[in-house]
Amino acid sequence: MKSNYYIAALTLFLTLAPARNSLPAQPARATTPEIFKQFSEHVVKVEVVETGSAAKASLGTGFFADGRGRIVTNYHVISKLIHSPERYRIEITDVAGQRDVATVLGVDVVYDLAVLRSERRPKGFLTLDSKTVEQGTRLYSLGHPRDLGLTIVEGTHNGLLKHTLYPKIHFTGSLNPGMSGGPTLIQAGRVVGINVATEGNQISFLVPAERAVALLEKTASAANPNPASFLAEVGEQILANQTRYLAGMFDVSTPRVALGPYDVPTKPTEFFQCWADAVRRKELAYASVSHGCTSDDYIFVSSEQSSGIVNFFHQLLSTDELNPLRFFMLYSSQFQAANAAVFGNEEEVTPFRCQTRNVNSDTGKLKTVLCARQYLKLPGLYDAVFKAATLGSRNAGLVSTLSLSGISFDNAQTVSRRYLENIKWHR
Amino acid sequence: MAPLGYIEILDAKGHVIERHGFEAWPLNIGRAYSNQIILNDPYVCPMHLAIAPDEQGRLMARDLDSINGLRDGGAQARVPTLELQSGTQFRIGRTLLRYCSIDHPLTPTALDRSEKVSRLVSPYTSIGVGLFVLAMFCLDAYLSSIERVKFVNIISDPLPMISIVLGWAGLWALASRIVVSAFHFPQHLTIAGTAIVANTSLRVLSEWLEFLFPVVPVLWSTALFGSGVILAALVYGHLGFASPLSRRSRLWAALAISIAMVGMNAINDYAARVKFSTVMDYDGILKPVDGGFVPAVSVEQFFESSEKLKTELNKLAHKAKAAP
Repeated sequence: MKSNYYIAALTLFLTLAPARNSLPAQPARATTPEIFKQFSEHVVKVEVVETGSAAKASLGTGFFADGRGRIVTNYHVISKLIHSPERYRIEITDVAGQRDVATVLGVDVVYDLAVLRSERRPKGFLTLDSKTVEQGTRLYSLGHPRDLGLTIVEGTHNGLLKHTLYPKIHFTGSLNPGMSGGPTLIQAGRVVGINVATEGNQISFLVPAERAVALLEKTASAANPNPASFLAEVGEQILANQTRYLAGMFDVSTPRVALGPYDVPTKPTEFFQCWADAVRRKELAYASVSHGCTSDDYIFVSSEQSSGIVNFFHQLLSTDELNPLRFFMLYSSQFQAANAAVFGNEEEVTPFRCQTRNVNSDTGKLKTVLCARQYLKLPGLYDAVFKAATLGSRNAGLVSTLSLSGISFDNAQTVSRRYLENIKWHR
Repeated sequence: MAPLGYIEILDAKGHVIERHGFEAWPLNIGRAYSNQIILNDPYVCPMHLAIAPDEQGRLMARDLDSINGLRDGGAQARVPTLELQSGTQFRIGRTLLRYCSIDHPLTPTALDRSEKVSRLVSPYTSIGVGLFVLAMFCLDAYLSSIERVKFVNIISDPLPMISIVLGWAGLWALASRIVVSAFHFPQHLTIAGTAIVANTSLRVLSEWLEFLFPVVPVLWSTALFGSGVILAALVYGHLGFASPLSRRSRLWAALAISIAMVGMNAINDYAARVKFSTVMDYDGILKPVDGGFVPAVSVEQFFESSEKLKTELNKLAHKAKAAP
């Protein structure tokens, strides 16, 4: 194992040989203050500034990735400019306080990355390292948490997350708002990940450096792209990505769980987390058993829009006490309850429109509803909610809700249909 | 001596304003006091018209060289003379007249239903309707509850609604007392109770229809138009006891109020639909009925028809983008 590490290190040394000159000489085991001192000048604060008021609308971090002034940061840091290029501009500030304007060269919305370019030629830059890093490796993250100044955070590499839409490094260290887009380095000074998210309590996530390498290669020849063109590209990237994560979702191999007489789908892929609960209280004249699954991850589109969120929730209601008319009052109210949390505004999405029908499935009849709304700035993308309630029983019923965000209408139909076909019951 | 016939003065709608019998020929009509029929119309000459039989026995109206002349049957043609049959209408100046012989045919005698109606709205009927409404409210309170309910809850829940109904009938009774000098409280209570029963029945029926045929917006249309009809009937009934208006006038008043309310509701609904919302608006009514009785489409048909949803959303998006 150790010899493999040395071979890999040697290979990496040879691979990165051309870039080595741009890096200062490395001490054998640099301390944290030394790492900060050596690399802080390559890190910049990235601000999206509202042109009317000249005040910042969002804040993040970036770092120079080559000698031509290209900067890597997160897509979500500069997403306001992508959605409204006429209202914002990007400004970068280095550790010495020098400000410059930057433009966007390319974005990867799925991996939450963006490449910017400033006219300034940097004194040096950070090298991206696509090599796999061993779990437990000491990492150093740089960024501007809450605009408090450039900060270094120590942490540990804990491998790749298993349940995500796209690969993410689990970084055990405290990332905070404002550090997004900043580099996370190994002791040797090479970037292994880009700060992207945190769940608090030192649970943080990094985009693997290889994705930034891919985006840098893609934008290597980009001249001066029109900022207005990125939105269409964002839409295309999201649509293309759906093919990957929706393929096979709710197909015949989807595991099912029994809720009373009903068999319902559960955990369709690894990136779902599922929970269940039951309410049986003495004061209630009915019992409720619920089972829900949520995709662990999502793709940030804008502050009010996300893609890739798939949630579903089954609720079995039954009673031995209520007569059918009273039970169906309860059942109807649960079916009509909007238990799919949605947000959005008039500039981003249309209102919902719904279709309700009684549908004859393989195992019986259901009342089904399909509601959808369209994204205004990302044509071809929709939010959809599919609901179904089983019919026929007088003292039991199943309400099932599937919520999908940022997907094509065709995919909403296909996935909803597969979902419906996975709801089965016996009388 | 029996009259030879009658000359009737009509209003613009043809209703009789005055009726003058005459017993001898010639019959003179004009503004002068020497006429048998004196008209207070500035467009009529003092000696305007004479009516008398001619040599052939025909009854003729003759213009006495008046300034504005004699006009046929309320029409525009000015004529020097006009043969009069029973029922013939003619105009002098701006006054519409009709000649009727004493054997002029009459419409059949109308049956007076007031006694029957008053039986329907007797105090006993009011008590019966009131108890029925109370029972209906109690049943509704029981069926709407999804928790264990006590008898006292079932009785107490409808009390606010009962108070509103009594208050409503009381207000109409007060109006009756002021306008027609009689309270008619039991009658107003019966009318209000009947309207509530009709409205509840309509709601239950439309819920079932909406459940069975979700493609038809039954709830929306009955809420709008069915309630409109019930409201019109309610106002019509109340006005029957609270005003001296004729049936026709009551009908128009009831329709006007109902149309105004339905119109306002429709505008409200439209405004709510146009306004942006993140809430999903759908009717998910479920009923305890065997699946075999529920009309249903296939899964394929459901998703095929959802294409319309896509088209509608595209239109909405297009409209939103085109908006300034």
